[in-house]
Amino acid sequence: MEQVNEREDFTLVTRKPYFGLPTACPICLPVYIYLKFARLPFHLAFNSTYPDSDIIPYVESGTYVACNNENGGVIECLKKDGIVDLDNGYQSVPEWISMKALISSWLEEALIYELWVGSDGNSVRKIYYPDLAWPIGKVLFLQQVRTVKQQLGITKENSDRREEEIYNRASIAYRALSTRLGEESFLFENRPSSVDAILLAHVLVTLHALPVSCLTNCTLSVYIGSLRSI
Amino acid sequence: MANAGGIPGPEQKPEALNPNLDEIEEEEEEDDDVVEEEDDDDLEEDDDAAQPQRKSRVDRPKIENLFRRIRNGPVPLRVHDVIVKGNTKTKDCLIEAELDAIRNATTMQEIIQAANIINYKLRELECFDSVEITLDSGPPELPGTSNVIIQVVETKTPLSGQIGTYTKGEAKSSTVEGSLKYKNGFGYGDLWDASLAYGFDRSAEVSAGVYLPRFKGLVTPMTARVFLQSQDWLKFSSYKEQSLGLSLGLFSIRHHDLVYNLAWRTLTDPSHMSSNTVRRQLGHDFLSSLKYTFKFDKRNSPLRPTRGYAFVSTTQIGGLAPDSRCLRFLRQEFDLRFAVPFGFYRTALNFGISSGVVLPIGRDFLRMSTSLPERFFLGGNLSPICSLGGPSALWGFKTRGLGPAEPRRQVRGDSSDENADASERDFLGGDLAVSAFADLSFDLPLRWFREKGIHGHLFACAGNVAKLTENEYRNFSLPKFLQSTRSSVGAGIVFPTNLFRLEVNYCRILKKSSHDHGKNGIQISLSAPL
Repeated sequence: MEQVNEREDFTLVTRKPYFGLPTACPICLPVYIYLKFARLPFHLAFNSTYPDSDIIPYVESGTYVACNNENGGVIECLKKDGIVDLDNGYQSVPEWISMKALISSWLEEALIYELWVGSDGNSVRKIYYPDLAWPIGKVLFLQQVRTVKQQLGITKENSDRREEEIYNRASIAYRALSTRLGEESFLFENRPSSVDAILLAHVLVTLHALPVSCLTNCTLSVYIGSLRSI
Repeated sequence: MANAGGIPGPEQKPEALNPNLDEIEEEEEEDDDVVEEEDDDDLEEDDDAAQPQRKSRVDRPKIENLFRRIRNGPVPLRVHDVIVKGNTKTKDCLIEAELDAIRNATTMQEIIQAANIINYKLRELECFDSVEITLDSGPPELPGTSNVIIQVVETKTPLSGQIGTYTKGEAKSSTVEGSLKYKNGFGYGDLWDASLAYGFDRSAEVSAGVYLPRFKGLVTPMTARVFLQSQDWLKFSSYKEQSLGLSLGLFSIRHHDLVYNLAWRTLTDPSHMSSNTVRRQLGHDFLSSLKYTFKFDKRNSPLRPTRGYAFVSTTQIGGLAPDSRCLRFLRQEFDLRFAVPFGFYRTALNFGISSGVVLPIGRDFLRMSTSLPERFFLGGNLSPICSLGGPSALWGFKTRGLGPAEPRRQVRGDSSDENADASERDFLGGDLAVSAFADLSFDLPLRWFREKGIHGHLFACAGNVAKLTENEYRNFSLPKFLQSTRSSVGAGIVFPTNLFRLEVNYCRILKKSSHDHGKNGIQISLSAPL
């Protein structure tokens, strides 16, 4: 840790801000919130020309880099490298692990579905392709939509069934989280952890980045209302 | 512009009258009394092989008189009609587009010279196995006129394959290329090709294109090329570059060349070890640019110049698209060189200076950064003699081996960080580059070497690269730039071939920066003329 503290300043490189958020990307925002929770000073920089990169977000300091696509993600890298660890003591708590799994799977699936498939795509165009020339942005968008459908197992035949499944799971997850959170500010022991950062990022993107029509048409809005207290 | 094998090169352009006529004239001068040598006396091609001698004896005095008149001065003669025969597939308009000069000729000499040029241009189309131009007498009622008969034999094998070295508009250096060509598919002299190429700058390319000698009445040929190109710079700058695009050769005459490039370019780093600057540049770019090249090369050889001079200026403007999000930059390169003969052992001194600058276009452009692939990099296994067209080569330094550099990413391992290789750096290139060289070439004493063209050379070179953008221009000063200039000297042997110039040199670095990749020792350089 001493060696880490002697390093140069940290810089978090994310995708660009939009919708009033410091970064509108649902993968980058949890890292931003985590570093804020940890009160680690850092600069914020943006990469707006590599929307299909899996290394973004990343944290760099001198020649040290913690990338999104290595060792479980940036947050796990920072923990493993001894830079910042808010999950101290939670690793063996089953409920914490299951909450994290719930958010990282069902809620993340629902958000990805809404952003890329369920909505008209305007949000993701603003988040990922604002600085790319139209032909490139268009091709990458179509490629990513195809990738998301493959990832979620959506085909022409089962699209309705999968959509219902995704919304149902999200509803269950929101109910569980709402119950767990209650009136507290954080999910566990009244101190922030990576789970809180991931959940808060998810809620902020859902509230601010998704079109209003999606919120009113799906049951997510019922449970998002209860999470507004966060 | 691609100079595929088979197309007559500039050195084969007709500069004199038809060689048959020259031979006849020389015979006339050497032996006016000889009557037995009659086969070469025909101005017209004589199909009557059964009576060559009798017809020749009858025509000989006339032809002698004709050549006497040609030698003495212009012989008035106009072209009444031009008849084209043999083109079943090739459109008439393609051939007739070359006939203006001969139609407007007013003397025999002009007609013969124009016929030579037409012959060359038609052969250049690569559509014909043979082209014969015959001057026949005009109608009797119109004295002083002649009919020109152009007999072409269209190629029977439109499909061909070849391997060679080329330079195309979108390529940054020469390439070794294998290609399949289909000639004259639509009868417009169109040349279609598909090719695989490997460049000397570690690039690979798959492309397909078409060459149109006469597109919609334009004077110069047009080319269009679709390409997928990749360049691997992982070892030097921790990134790979892939480009998918279209290149249009808009205009190409003797000294001027204008090319439009439209490309989707992606920089990636599969190693995940790039430095901060390179990592920030990874991603996609849209390139829409015009590149104008003015080239004036009066050297007697591009591989071993011993006399002459050359000047090249290349201007490239990027950002020519309605979408403001494409890459906007201005890039300018100059290259000037001279070759001075000394008059013994074919000794010649070649010297030259190259410079280049690239800047982004936009408000506060000096605060912006230039795209990595557009920057200047010096070094590599190239010879400055061959690399005409901007600063790139510097003897003794490895590819991209000098200039601004940044440490690569260090991965925390089980061992302590002190064991990690701190010398691994990414070379980032610069916005400004200047290089100069002097090369003294000479024949070697042994006759065998001289016959093969193998010769020796002594050389010295210097160069430097600097960053100006991202406010670095505030730290730039000419004295500092000159003081930090790298330099090297050396000697070696040159093995020129028809396609390449191979050099085996001993280089000694005189001055370099601590992070530069250059060292004393034997270096092999392989380059093709640009």
